[in-house]
Amino acid sequence: MKSFVEDFYRLVSLLKRREPFAFNRFSDGELFILQNKELILGDNLVKIGDKVMKGHYRKEDFKHFHPDEHSFYRDRLVDAFRYTAKNYFKGISCRCCAGEADFRWQLDFHGRHDENFTWANLFLNGNYGRFIREMYPLFNGYRTVIVCNENSDVTTLPFICKDFRVGYNAMVNDYGLIDTMKRWIDENGIRGHLFMFSASAFSKMAIHQLYRHCDANTYIDIGTTLNAFTGMRLDRSYLKAFWLGAKHKDIDKICIW
Amino acid sequence: MIKIVSGQSIPVGSTVALANLCNQFHSRGHECTFFGPDRWHLDKCRSAPLSDFRPGNGDIVIAHGIRLRSVADLDDPGTLAGPSRDGGWRRALEDRIFNIGASRGKPDAFRLVLTRSGDDPVRAGRPAFSLFHKIHFSCEAQRDRRASRHPHFVCPDFVRDLKKPLARPERVAGVIGSVRPENRLEISIEKALQDGMESVIVYGYLLDPVYFYSNIAPFAKKYPGRIRFAGFVDDPQKMYDSVSDVYRCAAKPWSAVKRECILTGTRYHGPDSPETEEAACNDSIYDVWKNELAL
Repeated sequence: MKSFVEDFYRLVSLLKRREPFAFNRFSDGELFILQNKELILGDNLVKIGDKVMKGHYRKEDFKHFHPDEHSFYRDRLVDAFRYTAKNYFKGISCRCCAGEADFRWQLDFHGRHDENFTWANLFLNGNYGRFIREMYPLFNGYRTVIVCNENSDVTTLPFICKDFRVGYNAMVNDYGLIDTMKRWIDENGIRGHLFMFSASAFSKMAIHQLYRHCDANTYIDIGTTLNAFTGMRLDRSYLKAFWLGAKHKDIDKICIW
Repeated sequence: MIKIVSGQSIPVGSTVALANLCNQFHSRGHECTFFGPDRWHLDKCRSAPLSDFRPGNGDIVIAHGIRLRSVADLDDPGTLAGPSRDGGWRRALEDRIFNIGASRGKPDAFRLVLTRSGDDPVRAGRPAFSLFHKIHFSCEAQRDRRASRHPHFVCPDFVRDLKKPLARPERVAGVIGSVRPENRLEISIEKALQDGMESVIVYGYLLDPVYFYSNIAPFAKKYPGRIRFAGFVDDPQKMYDSVSDVYRCAAKPWSAVKRECILTGTRYHGPDSPETEEAACNDSIYDVWKNELAL
């Protein structure tokens, strides 16, 4: 039986041992792209496939995936999702958060079972306190590279040695940054570093391609987990519950497989 | 065997002190294990989960952060395990002890010592002091009147093996302490910046995120590029190597930070502690424990 908490400590253990790995997360946004649905996260607008609703997203979260225009990027996301390698961990949407149908869809779409499947929410919900208190301090032991929004303030993170920035709809507009990063890794002999990604769907493609390129570094998708440190908004319920003390059940939620 | 059992084993000052205590006993030939409900202690000393704890005949049990009201049958440690942060297992322990230890007296089969090392971040509350054969205080300031009516001794915590670094940064302040209002980190940060420190690194376990977000995080906007958050770092040498000065405002004279600053040659700005405690070396501290526990 997979355990939400034990899977988290598995990654903690790898960090403590300085054993390189990749943790890639395919949550609901990526799920819709994998399902080849049009996705728009815009100003007061959210469109998923044919469904249109009001949204509350900020500029840094704006995203547009159109199945016809952006099929190249969807194919790269599929590559990242189906890639299997030692210590390449794939977090997928869990049945308790995404529902049984989408959970099953991911497994079917992936094909054969991957023992490195885990939760996309592994650092969130009931594990968020563990992430901030027990995993975050381990980053101090690494020379750390961050890939994040152009508006993030990373000066608060004492372990950062290099930052790469992305902007709106980074999956499409900043795709070339992956090659830039590969060159930077090669030209500077980057090994044993920790790469943190907070760049939405761009992160998934980059983590996959960079880990394939050089698996001597660790690559993790931190999503919005460090927003409280980087001056970004606390607009996710787990962030509000943890940092603002707002009542929300997510902060105690132990996701199931 | 010496068994240290604590109501929490998160990385705060008292847990560090208990892990040091365990390592010191072990390195001096005494079998010792530290039992706790959290995971941090598990790779810091000879240790085990709290669920493995069971006192045996002839043991010395050193308890911390447990509000014992009576001595109980501790033969079924499985019931002690459970959620630690809400005190679930602790309540189970206390209830069982209360029910079974009808006499509310000291245990006969093993010696029970209470250590008041550090403070009580999980607020276990005051135990029944009469249950304990002895009570340990880390410093005179901890010795409250009620506890002092019982057999007790005062002995500073063991210090970690720290050295002066070959090189260190200039005008980088470390604000060291668990992140919670009692430690008044915001005052330390302001003072460091007023003293001309170029940057401040906050080192400490994040006990109270709401306090952090409302009182500490805003400094990053007020002083752009000068405030950094490290969390609790396991390697104290790396922590002291990364700063020139340490600032503390918490009025807790039992903290080891001042003594560690002396060992590492780090300038210290904070509450004083008695010189006798600062001067105590690990050998003399061990001598006190050896005598008090009749090792």
